[in-house]
Amino acid sequence: MNNVAAGSSSGTGDASPARRNSKRPKYSKFTQQELPACKPILTPQWVISVFTLVGIIFIPIGVASLLASNDVVEIVDRYDSACVPGNMSNDKVAYIQNDAISKNCQRTIKVTKDMDQPIYVYYQLDNFYQNHRRYVKSRNDAQLRDKSKANETSGCDPEKTTSNGVPIVPCGLIAWSLFNDTYNFTRGNQPLTVNKTGISWKSDRDHKFGDDVFPKNFQNGTLKGGGTLDAEKPLSQQEDLIVWMRTAALPTFRKLYGKIEVDLKENDTITVTLENNYNTYSFSGKKKLVLSTTSWLGGKNDFLGIAYLTVGGLCFFLATAFTVVYLVKPRKLGDPSYLSWNRNIAGH
Amino acid sequence: MSGIWERARASRTLRGRDSFGSRDITSNGDRSSRTVRLGRVQPQAPSNRTIYCNDREANLPVRYKGNSISTTKYNVLTFLPKGLFEQFRRVANLYFLMISILSTTPISPVHPITNVVPLSLVLLVSLIKEAFEDWKRFQNDKSINNAPVDVLQDQKWETIPWKKLQVGDLVRVKQDGFFPADLLFLASSNPDGVCYIETANLDGETNLKIRKALERTWDYFLPEKAAEFKGEIQCEQPNNSLYTFTGNLIIENQTLPLSPNQILLRGCSLRNTEYIVGTVLFTGHETKVMMNSMNVPSKRSTLERKLDKLILALFGCLFFMCLIGAIGSGVFINRKYYYLGLSGDVEDQFNPNNRFVVTILTMFTLITLYSTIIPISLYVSIEMIKFIQCTQFINKDLNMYHIESGTPALARTSNLNEELGQVEYIFSDKTGTLTRNMMEFFKCSIGGEIYGNGVTEIERGNLERKGLKLDGANGSATAIREKGFNFDDARLMRGAWRNETNPEFCKEFFRCLAICHTVLPEGEESLEKIVYQAASPDEAALVTAAKNFGFFFYRRTPTTVIVRESHVDKMGKIQDVAYEILNVLEFNSTRKRQSVVCRYPNGRLVLYCKGADTVIYERLAYGNEDIKRITREHLEQFGSAGLRTLCLAYRELSSELYEKWNEKFILAKSSLREREKKLDEVAELIEKELVLIGCTAIEDKLQEGVPSCIETLSRAGIKIWVLTGDKMETAINIAYACNLINNDMKQFFISSDTDAVREVEDKGDPVEISRFMRDLVKKDLERCLEEAQHFFHTVTGPKLALVIDGKCLMYALDPNLRVNLLKLSLNCASVVCCRVSPLQKAQVTSLVKKGARKITLSIGDGANDVSMIQAAHVGVGISGLEGMQAVMASDFAIAQFRFLTDLLLVHGRWSYLRLCKVITYFFYKNLTFTLTQFWFTFQTGFSGQRFYDDWFQSLYNVIFTALPVIIVGLFDKDVSASLSKQNPELYKEGIRNMFFKWRVVAVWAFFSFYQSLVFYYFTAAASHNGQNSSGKTFGLWDVSTMAFTCVVVTVNLRLLMACNSITKWHSLSISGSILAWFLFIFIYSAVMTPYDRQENVYFVIYVLMSTFYFYLTLLHIPVVALLGDFIYLGLQRWFAPYDYQIIQEIHRNDLEDNRSSALLEIGNHLTQNEARSYAIAQLPRETSKHTGFAFDSPGYESFFASQQGVFVPQKPWDVARRASMRQQPRTHRS
Repeated sequence: MNNVAAGSSSGTGDASPARRNSKRPKYSKFTQQELPACKPILTPQWVISVFTLVGIIFIPIGVASLLASNDVVEIVDRYDSACVPGNMSNDKVAYIQNDAISKNCQRTIKVTKDMDQPIYVYYQLDNFYQNHRRYVKSRNDAQLRDKSKANETSGCDPEKTTSNGVPIVPCGLIAWSLFNDTYNFTRGNQPLTVNKTGISWKSDRDHKFGDDVFPKNFQNGTLKGGGTLDAEKPLSQQEDLIVWMRTAALPTFRKLYGKIEVDLKENDTITVTLENNYNTYSFSGKKKLVLSTTSWLGGKNDFLGIAYLTVGGLCFFLATAFTVVYLVKPRKLGDPSYLSWNRNIAGH
Repeated sequence: MSGIWERARASRTLRGRDSFGSRDITSNGDRSSRTVRLGRVQPQAPSNRTIYCNDREANLPVRYKGNSISTTKYNVLTFLPKGLFEQFRRVANLYFLMISILSTTPISPVHPITNVVPLSLVLLVSLIKEAFEDWKRFQNDKSINNAPVDVLQDQKWETIPWKKLQVGDLVRVKQDGFFPADLLFLASSNPDGVCYIETANLDGETNLKIRKALERTWDYFLPEKAAEFKGEIQCEQPNNSLYTFTGNLIIENQTLPLSPNQILLRGCSLRNTEYIVGTVLFTGHETKVMMNSMNVPSKRSTLERKLDKLILALFGCLFFMCLIGAIGSGVFINRKYYYLGLSGDVEDQFNPNNRFVVTILTMFTLITLYSTIIPISLYVSIEMIKFIQCTQFINKDLNMYHIESGTPALARTSNLNEELGQVEYIFSDKTGTLTRNMMEFFKCSIGGEIYGNGVTEIERGNLERKGLKLDGANGSATAIREKGFNFDDARLMRGAWRNETNPEFCKEFFRCLAICHTVLPEGEESLEKIVYQAASPDEAALVTAAKNFGFFFYRRTPTTVIVRESHVDKMGKIQDVAYEILNVLEFNSTRKRQSVVCRYPNGRLVLYCKGADTVIYERLAYGNEDIKRITREHLEQFGSAGLRTLCLAYRELSSELYEKWNEKFILAKSSLREREKKLDEVAELIEKELVLIGCTAIEDKLQEGVPSCIETLSRAGIKIWVLTGDKMETAINIAYACNLINNDMKQFFISSDTDAVREVEDKGDPVEISRFMRDLVKKDLERCLEEAQHFFHTVTGPKLALVIDGKCLMYALDPNLRVNLLKLSLNCASVVCCRVSPLQKAQVTSLVKKGARKITLSIGDGANDVSMIQAAHVGVGISGLEGMQAVMASDFAIAQFRFLTDLLLVHGRWSYLRLCKVITYFFYKNLTFTLTQFWFTFQTGFSGQRFYDDWFQSLYNVIFTALPVIIVGLFDKDVSASLSKQNPELYKEGIRNMFFKWRVVAVWAFFSFYQSLVFYYFTAAASHNGQNSSGKTFGLWDVSTMAFTCVVVTVNLRLLMACNSITKWHSLSISGSILAWFLFIFIYSAVMTPYDRQENVYFVIYVLMSTFYFYLTLLHIPVVALLGDFIYLGLQRWFAPYDYQIIQEIHRNDLEDNRSSALLEIGNHLTQNEARSYAIAQLPRETSKHTGFAFDSPGYESFFASQQGVFVPQKPWDVARRASMRQQPRTHRS
């Protein structure tokens, strides 16, 4: 009766057919919801093969990372309490705050394994919240980068200016609390030089700290937080500061101090003469000196290796377990008796 | 009017919806569309309106509104404030506004952009949508306001735009033109002062309506004459009642009553009339159609209400997290951390001297920090998804396109898509919904004799149930079939009735059919070509029947009905008889009858009346008890055959009696107040002492596919209740016919149609009746319930069915008995309520909605279903033959009942599934993200330091994880549409709300907890030492960027795991999102933006990517994070599979099923356009797999072949293409 109106011939005539037909929705795969799609089904076979696959990929990676981590020789020496003279061990804060007492301290480290150069020297702090909100924001990046913005100290509270209002460069709590313990190494009688260049990320040196920005009024206040800076060197060369100012993510962190570019042999004894200047005693933080070689993966960290191995192993285990279950009690794919409406009837 | 108010209020409170203007029903049990008012009924202002026609100065002091309309919500100035205000009425937006404000203060750990960017993006999207919609409205208004109209100025017709029109102006409207305002009809180019109008814009009825001007004004037709017209109109104040109007025209000291018959409403159009002249009564927003255009109150879906609870739970979670952090910060803060600079003057936030203040302030800090836990873009995403689902999927589904009537499905609201996937109860009207509402005259009973040999489907079904088989012989040679007439009995045809026992009765019967109606003949005045325009298909069927019996009504003038009668005086004689119509007492739902007083050419005065059996029997004259009794039996017989009956009666009038009555009638007709009521009372005076002629039976055929649709729906766990105004027998039979009830069911009947009831009723004491009824219903309910109890707990027992009639229902709905009714009916597979009023329909619906807390759907087509449609969670209107009221009130409109299968099982189910997935996924991704932040808080001394860069956080929701979830919300489908319909049981998962239970949410929450731990602790633990062979270490931002990368990758992959089907859009959007992140971070960490941030992440990604740590972690963490989900999904599928998963497995090797191929197989239904679009869709494309050599492409082959004149066998697509190109002669529908 009514399939009449497709009167006009060509495509251009489509506008003219009678009103009745224009109501008919046009066919398209989209509106009819018939877009071609793949329909993955998580069958037991799939589950088992995915587990196996993950296992196959993960275990070698895990082994490789673990091996890499095992290649690394790492010597850790905690010295914060050992360096406090016996008579002051009850009041360590008084010790560290008393300028009259010499802060020199000697530690001996025994090399347990051959260490190939470069050997990295780290200091590790504990219970130090470099990620505290008040601490993290207390810096001004523009000032660090750009000479002309030396007066910009916004965000640097409470270490913005000296007591007479002159802006500090670098300002802020982070710079103010710069770590200032120093280490000198000798093997036997031979001093081991510590190379302190190239310990920061290149991008930091090149882009974040200006090579024409010099420290000004730094640590001039009554209360010194930590290390001082050489006012003659531009910030981009103050690598200790650059390292320090890349604030750590966690309250326990390691930062690079320098590199020893000599191989160390097993059973070498190394004497560390350190200046124990930095106050971690107030908040009972530990201080550790770390000597470590690196692998392609970095320092000694078994975490990734173990994690990969665990997951890989778990996947193999699951794959086996699922296979066993599959063999013992197979579930037929698409068995209509599993349908709830069939189950109910069967169940009663 | 007050009665209407009361009823309106009652039905509104019943629905628990307050002052939203909803379409209220005022009729009380019948299907007439005349008594329905769209929108809220306005209280009448005490004063009348006085209009001076054709005199602008005189009208000036009153300051009537102009004729320009504005349906826009905003204008240029108000758009921002008002639009923003609308947006901030949403709690989520307001919350984020507050967070944004909070983040400008120093207590905030994050830069304001973190919250401002997502909020403004969300607002922007919403505002653009609003602006776009409003712009469309504005354009529409503009074109309407500037439409031209002829108005009388200085004795000439001047063309002015509609908006310049003023009250009192005289206008001329030409054929097919729209009336620019509500007009008083003065004169017409038709000689007898009538015009025809189409009201499709108002109520969707396409049949023509007749309007007649007052005789006194017929002359004001030509401009010169019309200019002389000076009248004064006193009429009611503007109101929104479409079918009433009271007023008087005072012209030359003569007062003429006006009725709706002289009113031409704005929005209607003029038909079959060259032009008319009218004067403007109401303009612009005061026109009735404008006063009716009110926003449909928006319903919220159950899922969304549950979502609110989830959001609330998230708020609780947020508070809890903040509390922990805040207490921690109060405990942590200490001067011993000298490097924090806490000595001296410290701001309150970190002042160790006042730890309480620190706690409080940190609380706020953390609220801003963790604000991402509330998924800000969730609502906007859901809105977009639903909008596209409606406009693209539901409205354009070819499976729901009704070819015969050319009607596609229509989603009128986009809020309720997923509600369609959880419907448990369907309340259905019968007529026009289950049945076609294509009325055919099928049988009749005249003077106690049954005529008509047909057997209805229902009778056939009845007989088959009893085991009898009907022989296929159907219809004799004399049978005439045409639209509206399916009657087969030679005894009445071709004058054969003259030989029957009661030829006089037959004659009255036929005359009654031919005269007593309000049908309008159209087209050529010949037996074959005439078309009857009628208010209801019943009427047209009756007039058609009269035509076939030899009483051909072919012309109506304002005062006469002309009938060409055959075989009256003697066989074969044909004569035209003009009956003068003196009065028409119109049909309405309270009267349930219609009468006409007519005068024969020989002066005989007769009142013909037709109406419902109950009202006619009450008014019969004494005597002829035999006929009454036999006819009553016949009525019952017809009813049980599923036929619709009307009783016909007449009354001889003496002229004195008539004159006396007519005076009262005229008085009532011209009264200004309560005219309808008075007219009813006057009619009552003459419609008595009637003589019964007989009754007619009209067949109301079942719609196509109804029984199988109902069967499918009931397999889907949906219970279907039929609520109908019909008699019990009719209702039961329809229920049988469409598989709602069968003999295997345990059936319960609660009926008032018993002797005991009748006995009490005959005594007539209302108090006694109600007491008796209450006891009866109570007893019945208890008896049924007791019996039913046996079956409640057995699974294999028979299904239950309940049949109850309206009278009993009235008592059963009583608060005391309601519980029992509910208990009983909820355990029934199907319930049939017969003889129910529209109000009761709504009551039953809300009984289940509120009492059982189940999701209900009402479906109906007529005005009497409006209340029910609005009362249910989801209202579905049948866009069919009977007006548009139901559609206007509905949330979804479909053309056929059977499309419910598609609407519910396909669209509803998918929407539900998708929405659940979207919501749970949103919940998961935001919780995961925020929890990583939370774990970090523990290691920052609870200072509220942010883990992520501001921009990471602000773009997380709106860029890096936004699109894929929308794609899933649009395209995910577990099983194909045809499988959904083949396995309707799958729908039960929605009814049980399997995918948005707290258990499901808890599983997601558990895994986001697990994943966040992995993200934070794994990245942190792996970052400890020197990170490459140069021994350098990482800082905070390196670790956080790493963690964020893992989060983005994992969260996007997790979505992929949740997909049931993966289209290219899925893969594109997911890989796109991950790529977007990398692209962003590459650019972001390479450029130095001067002011907005510290250079936290400057170069970070390059530093990261120079280490193996980055790659190893990036491989490891997503795998570990997703391992838990993967194991869960594997185990769940293995040991406790969802039904849809089994179906997926059963059909895993099926090819992509193509619903359109099924469409083609039905073949003959395809229209030209359809065939072409299908053929084009079938054309081979680049993607098609040709296995042959390189030239095996159809286009290539045929092109060269034709060049060289080589004959090439035609390919199917060529045929299709050519067929679609061929010029088709256009034929017209008759």
